[in-house]
Amino acid sequence: MEGFVAQKLDDYKTGKISRRRLIETLTLAATTAYAQDANAAASNPALKVALVNHVSYTCPNFQRAADWYSKIFNLDQVGATQNDVALPFGKKGDKPMGVAVNDVPVTTLIIRSRDSDAPARGETTPRRKSRALVNHIAYTIADFNKDRVRAELKRLGYPNPLQDGEHSFHIVDVNGYDVQISGIEMTALGG
Amino acid sequence: MERFIADLVTDLDSGKLDRRQFCETIMLAAAVYAAGEAGANAAPAQGLKAIGINHISYACPDYRKARDFYAGVFGMENAPTMDTGKEARLMFGPGPGAGGTFFLPRNGTTAAKAKAVVDHICYTIPNWDEAKVRAALAANGLTPTGRNGSLHVYDPFDYDIQIGNSVEENAFRR
Repeated sequence: MEGFVAQKLDDYKTGKISRRRLIETLTLAATTAYAQDANAAASNPALKVALVNHVSYTCPNFQRAADWYSKIFNLDQVGATQNDVALPFGKKGDKPMGVAVNDVPVTTLIIRSRDSDAPARGETTPRRKSRALVNHIAYTIADFNKDRVRAELKRLGYPNPLQDGEHSFHIVDVNGYDVQISGIEMTALGG
Repeated sequence: MERFIADLVTDLDSGKLDRRQFCETIMLAAAVYAAGEAGANAAPAQGLKAIGINHISYACPDYRKARDFYAGVFGMENAPTMDTGKEARLMFGPGPGAGGTFFLPRNGTTAAKAKAVVDHICYTIPNWDEAKVRAALAANGLTPTGRNGSLHVYDPFDYDIQIGNSVEENAFRR
């Protein structure tokens, strides 16, 4: 990129491009220089997933659960309705960690209370009964440190979390759902 | 960023910055911009801060069917050395250790113990092209429900999968 900047500077100095054009070009370059993933994604199949958009968590009392997740994971609650609320893992406009493309929003936990036997919005038939179960979700937390996380969990009312390897613990939420708390070091390849 | 660069050009024109300083500052600004997410993802002074989904543990009668479906349809990458014959790890998104997530299909009980259930997972598809997405689903024998930019299909075990783009599925547009 440095050569590109130098070239554009030469163009500006020799009058080939205007001051405005220089600023626009360098702004674009500076904000996309490290976004190679965008091109990679564009060449991938139409259905290649980039990130979890949201996890849909259904329970009897959504507000109670939402307050629990907000407290444990420092998550804001946005867009509340009578039946659900969203807890995004970041602020509006934030880019998800490690994602360079611009059209991937931060992941959100949507917590809701609803009749699982009712048809989905816009549908007339009930949802199918799943023969699979998402039996836990592991959340990556910032700056995982085993001792610090253990101390924080104790402060939050979990004195004996179940340690799972060097980089994670398990606890259960207010609905008895298994919640894993992991460091970024815990990956598909181990850790 | 544009305001910042405009000020740099002014400094260059007025002689406050030389050519080398100008180029170096632009390079540094680009790197800082790219790393901006790191600051947003720092742990708070107290408490824990969730910054993403590490993995999804999915129990089903035959993990191989799930593995092949999610890898084949949604481009998740099977970590071959982690396939134990009872479970697999399918990677997607950023790389391992860089914010990536993995889907963990495993043979296991599907009886819920908790009072809550994760009734579906929605995945973001970047560069969403409605016609191509629908055609790709059809090519895999899947008939979606939902609306443009936000579709639902079922996996081999009738688990509800949602896929969406950043416009239709965005917490800040609710």
